Amino acid sequence: MDPILTFVVILIGFYGLSTSTNIIKSVFCVTIIESGVILLFLNLGNLDGGTIPIVGEGVTMIADPLPQALMITTIVIGSTVTALALMLCIKVFHHYGTVEWAEILRREEGK
Amino acid sequence: MLNVTMIELTAYALQVLLIILAIAIVVHRNNGTIIILITSFSLVTASLYIINKAPDVAIAEVAIGSAIIPLIYVISISRQREFIVLDKAMDDFIISDNQFTGVGYILLKRFTDLYHLELNITNDARLCSLGAGRDQLLCEQTNVDLIITKDEETNTYILKGKKSSVLLQKLDSMAKDYDNIEVVQFKDRDFGD
Amino acid sequence: MTKHFIIIILLGVLLAVFTVAMQDIEVLYNTALKSYLIEGVIPRGFVETGSRNLVTAILLDYRLFDSLFEAGILLIAVSGIIWISKHDIEEKNAQFMYDKYKTPDLFVTFSRLVYPLMLTFGFYVIVNGHLSPGGGFQGGAIVASAILILYYIDHDKETNIGLIVTVEKFLYIAILLFASLSIFTRGTYFTNVFPPTASPDVQAIYLVILNIMIGFKVALGLWAIFTAFLKEGR
Repeated sequence: MDPILTFVVILIGFYGLSTSTNIIKSVFCVTIIESGVILLFLNLGNLDGGTIPIVGEGVTMIADPLPQALMITTIVIGSTVTALALMLCIKVFHHYGTVEWAEILRREEGK
Repeated sequence: MLNVTMIELTAYALQVLLIILAIAIVVHRNNGTIIILITSFSLVTASLYIINKAPDVAIAEVAIGSAIIPLIYVISISRQREFIVLDKAMDDFIISDNQFTGVGYILLKRFTDLYHLELNITNDARLCSLGAGRDQLLCEQTNVDLIITKDEETNTYILKGKKSSVLLQKLDSMAKDYDNIEVVQFKDRDFGD
Repeated sequence: MTKHFIIIILLGVLLAVFTVAMQDIEVLYNTALKSYLIEGVIPRGFVETGSRNLVTAILLDYRLFDSLFEAGILLIAVSGIIWISKHDIEEKNAQFMYDKYKTPDLFVTFSRLVYPLMLTFGFYVIVNGHLSPGGGFQGGAIVASAILILYYIDHDKETNIGLIVTVEKFLYIAILLFASLSIFTRGTYFTNVFPPTASPDVQAIYLVILNIMIGFKVALGLWAIFTAFLKEGR
């Protein structure tokens, strides 16, 4: 049941991405999808009876450390990619005077 | 045994809260409120990472999601509402009697209020000292949306801006009522050169 | 309205497919992976790498190749942001007529108190990355948030972004060189410099040095990003 609730978060992000009219709203939705994917990976790696992946005396079972190692880099990279998208968004606003997808596409076609 | 079920119950509650927050972010229309929502979203995800036995990931999420991500969202959303005007004329077009009561100021204020923008007028010395031939370059390279200059012979004020901007066309239709104001739109070049 | 309805139906189909696919994965994870973790990972991880935190062991030893190139992606993204926000014309000291942005005094006072604590905590997380939760990536982000507080205390602060990015590039090359030192001692790239027979305390020297370098690189990268945004916001 746990991974399915997480997948619902990803699907909400997809719904927002396909219906959003505003560029910044799309970036928000990408952030939601990213958090959902990270949560899904960690959910799968969290095995029954495991503890946090730090070994010491008396530790018999741990959570899978590989997805966690991948997800740390995902968070750092994801934040920089969000920053890149927002910087492009600022430039688009000062060029077109708007951040609505429909308006920008209309101007590009009317050229 | 009770301990384990308590943690599982908390996990379910937090996941339902996460879904509610995600729906709120997708449905809400005010971008300023969404920043608060997305910060709480990242806090809830960080607590879920800890419940899923991943403290390393939770530290990274809290460190990045609590300070840096809201900052860049706040800055890019406040940029979205701003209309930057460079005043090269420096006379009573904007300021008359030491107050913002000039003809141009009233026009620009009416225009920005209509489209829910914030007017930001600058007369930076270094930008104003550039020659008139570089006005187009100035518009493209910096974030200045509008440049005000004055034609001394015919005593008309010329407002210059990019043709690609939707706002400039709206301003053009609005300024038709004034005799001594002319709106010039620069031709398009490819975006991103 | 029909468009929204079709999207919801498609996403519902995706959810159903995912629910069916999930049942096999749960079983697979709780049998095969569990025995692999008990036999292969828990007894060997600490002995081979000298790191009690197995996440750090994977990041800095087993899969160092991956994390090096993820640090490279960070560098590329920072360069992209700097390139997009670059202007040929100087507009740095533009004086705006309305200065409506003022930090409250209470916030400034508390920031001054919190700033050294945050910086110390960041360094603690970086240096202790092989013993407790933490490491270069997380500690770098905490140090970057601490530096961000400096901008709230004094927001006329001028920073040279070019210098930050140059230092970051050289640090990245240094990380690559340090990570490939192991070809001289062990014969393979991108692993611990010291042989696996050395004691965990000796092996930890390599982990601490690499954690510090990655931590500073990530902190410099995030610093460059928010400096570019703050400059844009002026």
